[in-house]
Amino acid sequence: MKAKRRIADPFDALGNPYRREIVELLARKPRSVQQIADHLPISRPAVSRHLSVLNRAGLVSDEQVGARRLYRLDEQGAEAVGRYLAQVWGNVGVRFKLFAENTTPRSR
Amino acid sequence: MIEPLRISFEVACSPDHAFTTWTRRAAAWWPPEHTVSHQPGAEIVFEPKVGGRIFERTREGEEIEWGEVTEWGPPRRLSYRWHIATDPANATDVEIVFRRLPNATTRVEIEHGGWERIGAIGQVWRDANNAGWDGVLPSYRAQAAG
Repeated sequence: MKAKRRIADPFDALGNPYRREIVELLARKPRSVQQIADHLPISRPAVSRHLSVLNRAGLVSDEQVGARRLYRLDEQGAEAVGRYLAQVWGNVGVRFKLFAENTTPRSR
Repeated sequence: MIEPLRISFEVACSPDHAFTTWTRRAAAWWPPEHTVSHQPGAEIVFEPKVGGRIFERTREGEEIEWGEVTEWGPPRRLSYRWHIATDPANATDVEIVFRRLPNATTRVEIEHGGWERIGAIGQVWRDANNAGWDGVLPSYRAQAAG
């Protein structure tokens, strides 16, 4: 098996309502942790933790701009979701096919 | 409206066998890493009727909801709402057609849509779909055809 960095599942990442709100805020424009926290009823550390999950899922990236760190929706985020889904369905398809073909009562 | 993800592949068996394998023996082939419990021994149950629950039953007997059957049409059609690892309000839709082909083969056509229900992911998703879904399965196809 190939060694691979554990990447958070985009769907798990978006399973949390605050994280979905954060993605929606960032879809409009890049923001700092404080600017995100201003829109949500949660603390800055909580926002940071959510950003970290979104980052590992490939949905959000960050950039140092002067004294501030700005978070933005990752351009590759959509591709990350797409790749993830393609991989899941591909895997499901192959496993289903192999199992179904090897358990056929009579193949004729 | 966000375009559904569409994939299809052929299986060397009858639609009957394909439908039964999908709905009654999912635990044998569904990738364990895509279950909620990640337990290899977990059962996967499709209740065989419209409105039927789809759930995973762990070895400890805990039942974890995955979705709800919206169309039960053996051996040709199966549709369900799917909310594995998210809450039911974010359910997406899976529609599967098991199409009979000559030579005792079935074409499995899967459409996975309803992305607009997931506000945030809808944003992210729109662009991904513009790139199209061609090529989703070719490597798997090659592998399976071997």
